[in-house]
Amino acid sequence: MIVASKLSWVQGRRLGFIARISIAIGLMVATSLAQESKPAAIDKANARSTAKLSHPALVLKDEDGRNVLESGKPISTRRTCGDCHDYDFIANSFHFQQGKTEMDRALLASHGMAPFNLSPGMFGKYSILPNRQLAGPNLASAADFDMSQPEWLTKCGVCHTGAGISEYDLQGHRFLAPEAKASGPLDPSYTIRDREKSQVVPWDWAKSGIAEADCFLCHTPKASRGARKKEMAAGDFRWANNATLVDTGIVAIGEGGKFSYNRAAFNKDGTVKSELLDLSDPTLENCAQCHGFTARNTTTIQPIQHADIMRGTEKSGWIYNGAKISDTVSPNVVGREKMNYPWDAHAAKGLICIDCHFSVNNPGRMLHEDQKENLRYKPRGEDIAVYLKQPNHNFARGNIPPETVNLAMHNTMRGCGDCHDAEKIHAFLPYKSRHFQALACQTCHIPAVHFWAYRSDDWGFLMDTGGSRITYRGIEGGIVDPESEVTGYSPAYIPTPDKNGQLKIRPTNLISGVYWFDKAKGRPVFTWQMQTAFFTGLPASGEWTYRPEITKAFADKDGIVDIPQAIYDTPEKIALVKGLLRKYAGVADPELRIEITPWAISHSVVGKGQAIRECTACHSKNSVLHRPLDLNTFLPQNVPVSFRGKEARVVSFEGKEPAFDNRTLLTSFYIIGSSRVGWIEWFGWIFIGMVILFSLAHGALRLIGGRL
Amino acid sequence: MTSPTPLYALHERIWHWLQAATILFLILTGFAIHYPDRFGVFGSMANAVLFHSWVGFALIANAFLGIFYHFTAEKYHHFLPRSDDFTEAAIRQMRFYLYGIFKGEKHPLETDPRRKLNSVQKITYLLFLNILLPFQILTGMLMWGADRWPRLFDKFGGLWVLGPAHTLGAYLFVAFLLGHIYLTTTGSTPMSLLRAMITGFEQPSQE
Repeated sequence: MIVASKLSWVQGRRLGFIARISIAIGLMVATSLAQESKPAAIDKANARSTAKLSHPALVLKDEDGRNVLESGKPISTRRTCGDCHDYDFIANSFHFQQGKTEMDRALLASHGMAPFNLSPGMFGKYSILPNRQLAGPNLASAADFDMSQPEWLTKCGVCHTGAGISEYDLQGHRFLAPEAKASGPLDPSYTIRDREKSQVVPWDWAKSGIAEADCFLCHTPKASRGARKKEMAAGDFRWANNATLVDTGIVAIGEGGKFSYNRAAFNKDGTVKSELLDLSDPTLENCAQCHGFTARNTTTIQPIQHADIMRGTEKSGWIYNGAKISDTVSPNVVGREKMNYPWDAHAAKGLICIDCHFSVNNPGRMLHEDQKENLRYKPRGEDIAVYLKQPNHNFARGNIPPETVNLAMHNTMRGCGDCHDAEKIHAFLPYKSRHFQALACQTCHIPAVHFWAYRSDDWGFLMDTGGSRITYRGIEGGIVDPESEVTGYSPAYIPTPDKNGQLKIRPTNLISGVYWFDKAKGRPVFTWQMQTAFFTGLPASGEWTYRPEITKAFADKDGIVDIPQAIYDTPEKIALVKGLLRKYAGVADPELRIEITPWAISHSVVGKGQAIRECTACHSKNSVLHRPLDLNTFLPQNVPVSFRGKEARVVSFEGKEPAFDNRTLLTSFYIIGSSRVGWIEWFGWIFIGMVILFSLAHGALRLIGGRL
Repeated sequence: MTSPTPLYALHERIWHWLQAATILFLILTGFAIHYPDRFGVFGSMANAVLFHSWVGFALIANAFLGIFYHFTAEKYHHFLPRSDDFTEAAIRQMRFYLYGIFKGEKHPLETDPRRKLNSVQKITYLLFLNILLPFQILTGMLMWGADRWPRLFDKFGGLWVLGPAHTLGAYLFVAFLLGHIYLTTTGSTPMSLLRAMITGFEQPSQE
């Protein structure tokens, strides 16, 4: 029976492929017939998603292999999905490991990552945005302990989809297995820092349970990230996967948050109703839960999606949406009346995330290039049965800054040129090869971002919330206020290597962070250390109270440190906080630093009608390629600035506000009409001036002497 | 009254004025490329690049025709300085430009069809036609061929070398052109040399 089911599933996939081709051909015809009717084209493009075949009926099993309807226990995806699919093979991929399998100092060094990072992935990489550092193994002192594995799961585990880090400790033992034991009182897999007591205390895995791979989050269209987040944040890992299904009608939450199963959602044979679980390829909406705003065709873009600020979108402001910007109802995009084009050209054409970010061994989409064998297309593909057993969950991806994650898969997705014949469609452009060699396609095809994005995250001075001060660009007002005017922003440009190592200029947002670095320890100062230095404690009211030294130095007459006062505008203020960090937090050698982090933009792509075509946009004195994007207004001066892991001169304080200055980054690019060699310009014009002056003086003397 | 001296044959005049026109056009289009936002007289930078390339080829063709003509008509010797053109004759000529011309002294070189250029002209044209012009043609061709011969282009240092080098040559061209135009007024009358290059004949001095 299972074999039959598998066969029908395989055949179905093949039929599905034919159906997709047919639909694509139909779409092309429809598009050519109705060019003026874009919405209709979008609808037809979207229609392909309905052509999917149902996944065979399955029994939801618990960890003992029993039907959950009988046991009432949490769903075990290891037992449910793992019957047909290779669970461990799938869970060994980046979506589940998040860098846990890449904790290798040599690997970090080879990618220019500072040694205080534990891995290049989200599990182990320091980022200025949360200013948190995963605690490594073998720590000798609680003073070096910031975030443990269980705390990481409560904070980040909603997106990072179970298994891997939520199933195995840093030694590779499965939690709750007999051999899984803490190696000591500071083992980061079995402890958590108690913020209020400022102590490292044990984590009770028996109480929290394990979060197995949450297949439903990506393969069930009605997945509930919000419900999953609640469970993960509460440390109730065991039920997280059940929570994901609360909107499907299969799972219900009763009083006290207890999960139960809706018997009506199951067939008589105990299998769950396919139409409710609706297992499928990941949809736009599935990916959108964690990766940013994606939609086929919507006129309303809420700032809070899936119980969070749009993860992904907030970093650079891209919107993957097929609807026209001019049709946007919310937010209030300034000037949208004139933006009679889609938020993203690819979304408008019906492309979904997995069209480009596909499983690399999917026979229908797999990579065909094999440069060693000089093959551009490899007709011999994987068997679909192999793929269904072991679908590679390391998805094809590009390589845009600041992403160091999933290093092994960098530059595996197809480039723009693999679908578009750039030479053919850029007839207007002189020196095509030079342009294509120097510029990423996004440089001209993402000329502007019409949404808001992070601008700065300042951990150098803690606000009275105990946290950082975050600012956004591209919006006048709060990001959750529907009345706020979304002005968008014009990106900055930085050079990044393409898959051949060729430096190309590409558009990016910039997030400036201010933070304290512990030079003695060679790592950023932890947030809890900052809080210890800045505050006397957390009172019952929930308000942090600044130390008197802070108030005296920073507050104005009302005795309150408001946002305008929370700045390091004198060396004395920096010295004061440095002293507090030494005195109260035990930071021996603190140093205030600035980090400018680029978040490159690859979506919000526009078509040829809106792309940059004017030569003078780049080839002029005011070239957009040197556009000085504004940074955090309150950036301190005369402190080290790092850009992509290296100290760099990329901040200019010459204007009214600190701005990004990419001149030192683009020195390898000579931009005709913009780049100048100073001495040649000076020499040239002085020489010409001298010839003119000589001629005038000579002629005048001849005239005066009557010799002309 | 003496009759006008035949100085420039038709071929020479055509060559000269074509050269002048193409150089002037190259300077204008060059400015449109170097200062595209401030000198957009050609509609767009792409137009300026296109015109610059075509006219550059016209200049090269004219230069080769000029070489062909001067060699086959055995007139190349006009451009070849003799040893005293670098010493005595040059000093005499410079003294005339810097002093004698204000005193109404006679031009040190009596122009005739066998000796059309003074020593300063010979030295200047030697530098201009044999060094600066080929330098501009070489750097210009390499930039024009950036898409066609990218390896060769990169071997010469790419845009960071060729762009500024070509710009430097262009400034020298502009300076030469301005000086050249002014010095055309230093004939027997302010317009006599210009007229000679148009009609082919130089009017004899009235003195």
